[in-house]
Amino acid sequence: MTNYTLSLAWRLFRHETKRGELTIILLAIILSVASVLSLSLFSERLKYALTEKSAEFIAADRVLGSNKPIDIAWIDKAQEMGLNTAHQTYARSMVFANENMDLVDLRAADTGYPLKGSVKVADEPFTQGIVIDRLPTSGEAWIESQLFQTLGIIVGDNIEVGDKIFRVSKVLTEVPDAGFSVFGGDPKVLISKIDLAATKVEGPGSRIDYSYFFTGENGDLEDYYDWLEPQLDNEIHDWDSIEDDESGIGRAVGRAGQYFLLASLLAIVLAAVSIAVAAQRYSMRHYDPVAIMKTLGAPKKMVQQIYLLQILFITALGITIGVIFGFIIQHLVVAAIAGKVDVSIDVWHWRPLIISIFTGSVCAVLFSLYPLMKLFSVSPLRVLRRDLGANLSSRLIQFVASGGAIFLLMWAYSQNIKVSAILFISGIILVVSLLGVTFGLIWVGRKLGQGKMGAWQLAWARIHRRAMDNSVQLISFAVTIMLLLIVLVMRNDMVQQWQNQLPQDTPNYFLVNISQAQQPNLQQHFVTNQVEIDKFYPVIRGRFVAVNDEKVRTAVSKEDPDEQSNGRDGLGREANLTWSNTLQKGSEVIAGKWLGDNNNSDTAAQRPYEVSIEEGIAQRMQLGLGDKLTFNIGSEIVELNVTSIRNVNWQSMQPNFFFVIEPRALKSFIPTYISSFNLPTERKSDITQLMQPFANVTLIDVDARINQLRNIVDQVSMAVEFILILVLAAGALVLIAQVQASMDERQQELAILRTLGAKGRLIRASVVFEFIIIGVVAGAMAAAANEFSLYMLQTQVFQMPASLHLEYWIIAPLAGALVVGILGALGCWRLLSLNTSQLLRQMV
Amino acid sequence: MTPKTMIKTNGISKTVTTTQGQLQILKPISFEVKAGESIAIVGASGSGKSTLLSLLAGLDEVSEGEIYIDGQAMQNMDEEQRAQLRGAKVGFIFQSFMLVQSLTALENIMLPAEIAGRDDAKKRALDILELVGLDHRASHYPNQLSGGEQQRVAIARAFISDPKILFADEPTGNLDAANSDKIEKLLFELNQNSHTTLVLVTHDPVLAGKCQRQLHMQAGELKEVFTSSSNEQAALKVG
Repeated sequence: MTNYTLSLAWRLFRHETKRGELTIILLAIILSVASVLSLSLFSERLKYALTEKSAEFIAADRVLGSNKPIDIAWIDKAQEMGLNTAHQTYARSMVFANENMDLVDLRAADTGYPLKGSVKVADEPFTQGIVIDRLPTSGEAWIESQLFQTLGIIVGDNIEVGDKIFRVSKVLTEVPDAGFSVFGGDPKVLISKIDLAATKVEGPGSRIDYSYFFTGENGDLEDYYDWLEPQLDNEIHDWDSIEDDESGIGRAVGRAGQYFLLASLLAIVLAAVSIAVAAQRYSMRHYDPVAIMKTLGAPKKMVQQIYLLQILFITALGITIGVIFGFIIQHLVVAAIAGKVDVSIDVWHWRPLIISIFTGSVCAVLFSLYPLMKLFSVSPLRVLRRDLGANLSSRLIQFVASGGAIFLLMWAYSQNIKVSAILFISGIILVVSLLGVTFGLIWVGRKLGQGKMGAWQLAWARIHRRAMDNSVQLISFAVTIMLLLIVLVMRNDMVQQWQNQLPQDTPNYFLVNISQAQQPNLQQHFVTNQVEIDKFYPVIRGRFVAVNDEKVRTAVSKEDPDEQSNGRDGLGREANLTWSNTLQKGSEVIAGKWLGDNNNSDTAAQRPYEVSIEEGIAQRMQLGLGDKLTFNIGSEIVELNVTSIRNVNWQSMQPNFFFVIEPRALKSFIPTYISSFNLPTERKSDITQLMQPFANVTLIDVDARINQLRNIVDQVSMAVEFILILVLAAGALVLIAQVQASMDERQQELAILRTLGAKGRLIRASVVFEFIIIGVVAGAMAAAANEFSLYMLQTQVFQMPASLHLEYWIIAPLAGALVVGILGALGCWRLLSLNTSQLLRQMV
Repeated sequence: MTPKTMIKTNGISKTVTTTQGQLQILKPISFEVKAGESIAIVGASGSGKSTLLSLLAGLDEVSEGEIYIDGQAMQNMDEEQRAQLRGAKVGFIFQSFMLVQSLTALENIMLPAEIAGRDDAKKRALDILELVGLDHRASHYPNQLSGGEQQRVAIARAFISDPKILFADEPTGNLDAANSDKIEKLLFELNQNSHTTLVLVTHDPVLAGKCQRQLHMQAGELKEVFTSSSNEQAALKVG
């Protein structure tokens, strides 16, 4: 390359920038870099903030669960690698006081606990807890409210745990890692780790779990895991982070993460679309200079170098300005949501910066490829014959280059081939259909563009004549609208689903151990106190004895659904059994038939008793339809035949059961009942009065946990909302850029119409009609493509039920017509505000 | 000493493919132009003047026949070689000026010299800008200049690389009478001073009359050749 080439390229670039000739392509690059940067930076920060927040739910960044104490060298190594550590031992143990006893979830924590989140305590049972920054000292125990009730004690009394006596000094209201399996959980007792040995609950046959908590930099945590992993035994150890958490929180955060990813991907595609449109226009505007240079003897290589350098300069400038804008937007957004979502801008994330620069460069280069090749093919003869365009007719290279670029970017960014492929294939289907529609429009245009020249005829005639240009425009409008629809609908569906999971009246208290005699009184008492109480579920405790006559020792209770029970073996415990003829809300039979649906009542007496089992327990215990389960209830043996398997929504915050038995089997047993109710947090002080007449009924308070859950869901929803606004803003800007670009292409025609004396109103109306037609078609196509992409995304990526969005079939074309029409009118208004000679002069 | 032949055509024709089949837009033409000579190609719209010009200037390829520019056979050259030839020996002036809109007057003039890799591009451009009387407009962009001024810049650009042949396509076609006169004067002056061979396409009989010879085109055929001095039909080989 000669110095002349470089200097000429630089001069052309400088002058064209100054004269505003590069504005459109520069804006497209700036827009894409700024939107990708701000969006991915913001979503990275949000994800970080949410992970931080949700880390509180496991009390750390990572937790190593184990059913044996681990080698102390592992902890030393973690500390050596700069991680903070803490430790807690869990035991199921009986506590005694005043001749009462109860089975509790005993937790012995060392001083570092909790590494994330906080412990809350109160001085009276069933009152609001406050954060405490210390743990129980030796000889001290903090116990949950319901245990005060069951043991009949008050703060200051003593309890016996194993061989040691503790003084109950506080009411434990909240621990961060409480888990969300609320119903039926044993009340928690928190003691200091140094007292654990004295209780002697650790011993042969005892049920002890160990949790080791770690916090630190992500990289350090990953390095530590890399070191640790080869030494872990799947049977004993379990390495967890909040992302692995299958609770509502883990899923909500995971899904939000995917949403952010999707939004960023869509921003990349939007960026690509706007750059593609701008590059096309850039190339067309440079046909003349290329023809002139060639005429004056410039070799092809020189022309190529000049324009490749130009693109390079434009890209570099666009990226620089884009990055600056990206940061500004990001700071503005963070400032705007301060107080609603805790997003810190102190932590620096490199990935978004790299991604945005990469996106800007790849888009600018690959999308300019075909327009540049066209530009290079311009014949010098154009200096004499102005109508001559480019000589390149094959569009294959354009489709391959731009399609490849988009797919590569999406894949590189998401590292998720499924999401990328779904969006990409939807895009291709959309583009192909739009090409079909364009040819339809050419045909319609030919029919409608005839006759007396009114605004409609002019609009149709123009659509017909500019069919190929319009097809590019139509595709870019439709892709933009489709992407906006996807982001909008996904957000609506997702937030809706989260809210459905936790409606306002979600029960925050559970009542256990209600006797049959108490049931009507209790119900009446609650009604009198204006508290709505849920349905009463009968419960009978039964010991699980055998499967198909083969004896098992298996733990089955909802409070430990994730237990590592190896196959059917485990520790013998009782299960809560209920009976019902109706399937519970939120449950669904996934195999077999619901109780009683198999036979008619005539043969009922002869057939074995039926049981419906929960999907998870069926898998864990390798149970299937037709298996015979044996329970020991009271002193009787009851045999049950598995006739259905149910899917249960454990997040529904309602009493749920692993085993639902047909009522006939349990009619001779006397059950207790459980129920739940919702009491607003501000009425918390009414609890004592509410429960006072029913001393034996155990109250389980999950209000704090529900509030924690609701809080995080609110934050995630809010974050999703902001991402939506950002994408919508980026989309709107892309639309404006597209209309602006196409307006310039119409300038020549407007100038001619103006010169020929056409009235401004006619011209304006014809342009607006043209844009309205394009907007309607683009909107309708976008709605169709949106439906397809959403179906694929919801079922394949977000694991949500698919939904139809018929309303968007009307909204999208209307919005398309409105937005594109208004933008067209505005662009046209600008052009028509110039006088004819200015218009003609600008055409040069 | 007889001047050497600068342009020689031997039965050149141009055929294009249309939807209705092959169409010959230029019938076989043969003629010669001597170095320093000025010729005008005249004829009605669509007579094939511009097509002939495009072939002579190497902007388009001949379908049949031979063209020699300063002794070099152009019909055997590819686009790159023709560009090189244009850069070295040819200058252009167009009806619509064809200036690069994003370069200043000075930079437009420098362009051919820069393309040719000449170190003195700027100095020469400034000299020639002064010669065409636009030194005070050096940093103006084309759309800040009047039509006459733009054409003067185009003339300056055409002469900067000392072309052996100057092709001018309706150089005054977009100008008013006063400006046309100025441009014509400048064009012929520079042409004479630099002994350039001038090939001019025009509708204008007055302008054509200022050339030494006129080639009259009609429906793609070279019909007659006049020598302007006697205004008589010359007995030159036509066809």
